[in-house]
Amino acid sequence: MELNARKVSDGRAEGEVLVCNGPFSFLGDLDPITGVFSVKGHELEGQNLAGKIFIFTTGRGSTAGSSVAIQAKLNKKAPAAMVCLEVEPIIAAAAIAAGIPMVDRLDKNPFEVIKTGDFVKVDATKGIVVVHE
Amino acid sequence: MFLTPEEYEMCEGKHGPGIEKAMKLLVQMGELFGAKRMTVVDNCHILMNDPIEWVREITEGVTKIRAFTTMHPLNPCQHWEEMGIPESAVKERLKQGEERNKIYTGIGMLPIWSCTPYFVGSLLYPGAIFSWSGSSGIIVGNSVFAARGNRDASVMSIASAITGRTPEMLLHKKENRYGQFLVELENLDLEVLTEAEYGAIGYHIGAQAGSKNVVISGMRHKPSFDNLKYLLSPMQVSGAVSLCHIVGLTPEAPTLKAALGGKKPEMKITLGRNQIEEARSSLNTVQATAVEVVVLGCPHFSIREIRGVAQLLDGKKIADNVRFWIATAEAVYNVSKQAGYVDIIENAGGRFITGCCAGPEVARLARASGIKVIATNSARAAHYIARVAYPVSSVLFGSTQECVNAGVTGKWRA
Repeated sequence: MELNARKVSDGRAEGEVLVCNGPFSFLGDLDPITGVFSVKGHELEGQNLAGKIFIFTTGRGSTAGSSVAIQAKLNKKAPAAMVCLEVEPIIAAAAIAAGIPMVDRLDKNPFEVIKTGDFVKVDATKGIVVVHE
Repeated sequence: MFLTPEEYEMCEGKHGPGIEKAMKLLVQMGELFGAKRMTVVDNCHILMNDPIEWVREITEGVTKIRAFTTMHPLNPCQHWEEMGIPESAVKERLKQGEERNKIYTGIGMLPIWSCTPYFVGSLLYPGAIFSWSGSSGIIVGNSVFAARGNRDASVMSIASAITGRTPEMLLHKKENRYGQFLVELENLDLEVLTEAEYGAIGYHIGAQAGSKNVVISGMRHKPSFDNLKYLLSPMQVSGAVSLCHIVGLTPEAPTLKAALGGKKPEMKITLGRNQIEEARSSLNTVQATAVEVVVLGCPHFSIREIRGVAQLLDGKKIADNVRFWIATAEAVYNVSKQAGYVDIIENAGGRFITGCCAGPEVARLARASGIKVIATNSARAAHYIARVAYPVSSVLFGSTQECVNAGVTGKWRA
C-alpha cells in the first residue's frame, strides 16, 4: 500500500514501525543516550525508538526538544523516520535540524492502516510512505 | 516562499556555511507553516543546551550575529560546588557548556544567563517581532508586551539570531492572535491571591487550553508584574499556550470583544477557588514534612521579589539543615547587592544562584545529589522538579511567605 504525504524533513528510511497513540516531545519522552522511551506508566515505556519508523499524533512540549533530537541523532539513537498527523513548530524544527526524515498529512489515517511491527518505507523527500503487506 | 536577493544568497551559501544552514532551516519551517516571506527580527533569546557538534556547524563562518540576542541560564549551573552538589551531576556537561558559551559570546550574543531577558535590558514593545526560546519568556513577550513571537524551538532562535530573519507566520499575524479559549474567573478577589495561587490558576488553564490562545476575563484587580509572571509561565508547561490576553489589562485586550476579534470563543471554562485548590494540591507531591531545599526564582527573581524576601528574612536565620536558593540574573543580583538586599539574605543563610535555572536544572542537580524534599513558590518549577527529579525528589508548593517560613523553621507550614 502506498500513501501520499506532505514532506516535513527531507530524507529516506525504512524499518519497523512503532506507534504512539498520542503527542510526543523529545525532551522528557526520549532518553537520547539509549533511545528508550522513558515515560513511566506510558504504553511505550521501555521501548527503543532507535532506527524505528515512529508514528505519533503531533509534537508538544519544551522549546529544548530540538536539542534532544539532535543529541539522539548524534548518538545514533534517533528514530529512522517520523510520521505524524500534523506537525507543530517544535517537532518540525527538531526533525529538520536533526536531519530525521519526516512526513505528515497522509492521505489515509496512519493509525488505521499502519500498526506497530509493520515494515514501512518512508521517502520524505517525495512525500511517499509504502507499507509492506 | 519569497526571498529577497540577500536572503537568497544566504540560502545559497554566499555568506558562509553557518548562515546557509540557518537560512535553510528558516525557509523549510516557513514553507511548512504557510509563511509567504521572511521578516526582520531584532530580538532573539537562545537556549544553552544544543549539542556542541551542531553549535559548531551552525556558527561556522559566522563572525557576528545580526539580531540583538541574549542567552538563557548556563548549562550546567556554575554554582554547583557551593550548592553542595557532587561533581558527578555536572561533569559530563562542563566542557561542552564552556565551549558553547565561548562560541556564542564570541559572535556577539549577550551572556545575561537568564530566562527573564526583560529584567536585563532586552525590552519588547507592541508589534515588535521576537524569537525567544524558553517558553516562559515567549508567553510574557506576547501577552504582557504585545510583541509578536512564535513558540520557536531552540534551533529556530539561533538561526534567527544568525540571519536576523524569521519566517512571517503564526503569531506574527494579527489574525492568529485573537483569543480562542475563554476563562471566566468566578468570585475571586484577586487582590489577596499569592504567587502560588496565580501559578495554580495558570497551571489549570494550560492543562485545559492546550496550544490555544487564552483570554481571561473577570480579573478585577491589577496583579504586580511578578504575579503576571507566575500566572503566565505555567501555561507553557501544563500546556503549550504562547499568548494569554487578560481583559482590561494586557494591550491587545482592552475589551473582551477586542481580545476575541469579535468572534465566539472555541471553548469556555469558569475558574474559581475549587480549581485553584485542585491545581495547587496536584503540584504538591508529598505531605507536609521536613524541608531540605527551598528554591525560588522560576522564572528568575526580580529586584522587587528579592526586596520582599529580604524584608521577610531580616533578622532571621535559615535553619541549619536547609539549603535556601534564589535564582536570578547576575545583573539583578548586582543591583540588589547595591541596595543592601543581598547582604540581608546572605547573612540569614540564603544563597543566590545567579545564571542558574531554578526549574529543570535544579531538578537535575537535586536528583543527582539525592535531595528528597524541595519547597518552591513556582508552579512551573514544581512541575519540572516532580518530573525531572522523579522519583528521587518530592515537591512542596506554596507562597513565597510559606517557602521563607519553611527555610527558617526547616518544616512545611510549621
